[in-house]
Amino acid sequence: MSSVGAERTGFLYPFIQRDERDAESLLADLATSARAKARESAALQRATLAQCAALIEVAGAAMAERFAEGGRMFTFGNGGSSTDAATLAGLFARPLDGRPLPALSLAADQAVVTALGNDVGFELVFSRQIIAHAHARDIAVAISTSGSSDDLLSALAEASRRGLLTIGFAGYDGGRMAAAPEVDHCFVVASQSVHRIQESQALLGYELWATVQRHLPARGRRER
Amino acid sequence: MCPGASPQAVGPDGGTAVSAPTGIAPDLLDTGLAADLADAALSLARLFHAGATLWCVSPRWEPHAHHVAVEFVHPVIMGKRALPALTITGPDIVAQARVSARTGDVIIAVAAGDDPAVGEIMRRAPAWGAHTLWIGSGGRPARGAADHVLWIDDPDPLAPATGRFVLLYHLLWELTHVCFEHPGLLTGPAAECADEGRLAEVVEPPGRTYGDALVRTATGEERVDVTLVAPVSAGDLVLVHAGAALSRRDLEVAP
Repeated sequence: MSSVGAERTGFLYPFIQRDERDAESLLADLATSARAKARESAALQRATLAQCAALIEVAGAAMAERFAEGGRMFTFGNGGSSTDAATLAGLFARPLDGRPLPALSLAADQAVVTALGNDVGFELVFSRQIIAHAHARDIAVAISTSGSSDDLLSALAEASRRGLLTIGFAGYDGGRMAAAPEVDHCFVVASQSVHRIQESQALLGYELWATVQRHLPARGRRER
Repeated sequence: MCPGASPQAVGPDGGTAVSAPTGIAPDLLDTGLAADLADAALSLARLFHAGATLWCVSPRWEPHAHHVAVEFVHPVIMGKRALPALTITGPDIVAQARVSARTGDVIIAVAAGDDPAVGEIMRRAPAWGAHTLWIGSGGRPARGAADHVLWIDDPDPLAPATGRFVLLYHLLWELTHVCFEHPGLLTGPAAECADEGRLAEVVEPPGRTYGDALVRTATGEERVDVTLVAPVSAGDLVLVHAGAALSRRDLEVAP
């Protein structure tokens, strides 16, 4: 009798039933959407690697030359891109496989970043560090999605003036970075999505690292 | 498509997944992982809705923890609300997580399945009242090690540097915000709070070798009789029932 009663009064609380059904359909929608975005990400990665294959080879070889001369790599970016820059520096400096290479993220030192941001302005947080640390044989790698951040462009210009090898990662149409004469090699991920751009840039960075490892001169390798 | 209908069947758990030499996996997100991600996003949205702070840890790849935090705090899409997310770094992330996490918070780790510090945090989190989410690749953590495990079954140790973790937490962020558009679903079923076998972490052992110890559980600090499991030290994990510690949990290390 009670179950019949529940059935009869169920229409009074349609939201309870509906909510339960909706959670299931929401979860199914979320999973479908996630798979679609992952496919989109993979397709963009494939397209980007195909488009940048020659550039990866050229830039990787040039970087390997700098490392062989005793150069160091400085990476920098803003927000999520600053973390991707740090991941890239970590991959170069502490690879699980291959030769460790001197690489640093310029966003890592909170004292320096906040001192420069406060005292001379945020657009100089990286270029002032380039002035302080860099030598002509070094490498500057800027990672951006817009390709147009003032702090990155100012650091790339400073690096170029000092003879560093300059490499830019951008998204969209490449922004100002793609057109800047101060950037020796610019990787552009042709997408309008910040997230998809970063996912492809991460793989580009990985491929660049693998290419550098391949191009390192044998004389620098430890004897077996 | 019903999430209850075991979408795992198509997943790579059978060991057939092989990473492409370029670093692009044949399928970046199989149906099993997509379903896990959807579940995790709805849980995370519900916990944020209830006031949670998200604590991010990644002992080996700290930038990933920072990246997760910045996604939630400063969304890339204008108009999406900022959510409380903070990174835990430093020489002792277990101690830092202990003082940071409050009941109802969430701890997300980006780490290998055998990371000792993350394993410690995950084991202790229930005593702190914190929910857990573990992102990683390679060998999986023990079953049930975290509330949500988002795992890339790719043995390549370099997978964390190819953008696949980035994709996972980008999607987690995005799906979480989709859930906020369904306010009716944000108040999920309340977690059962049975008194049987609640995990507790010893805060202050009794002055003598037996007696009452101050312990921390999901519901706060309380005094429990630890005579049955004595001696105990600060940090030990015990199971508490009806005001007494019945067994120890600190020596149960997953193989």
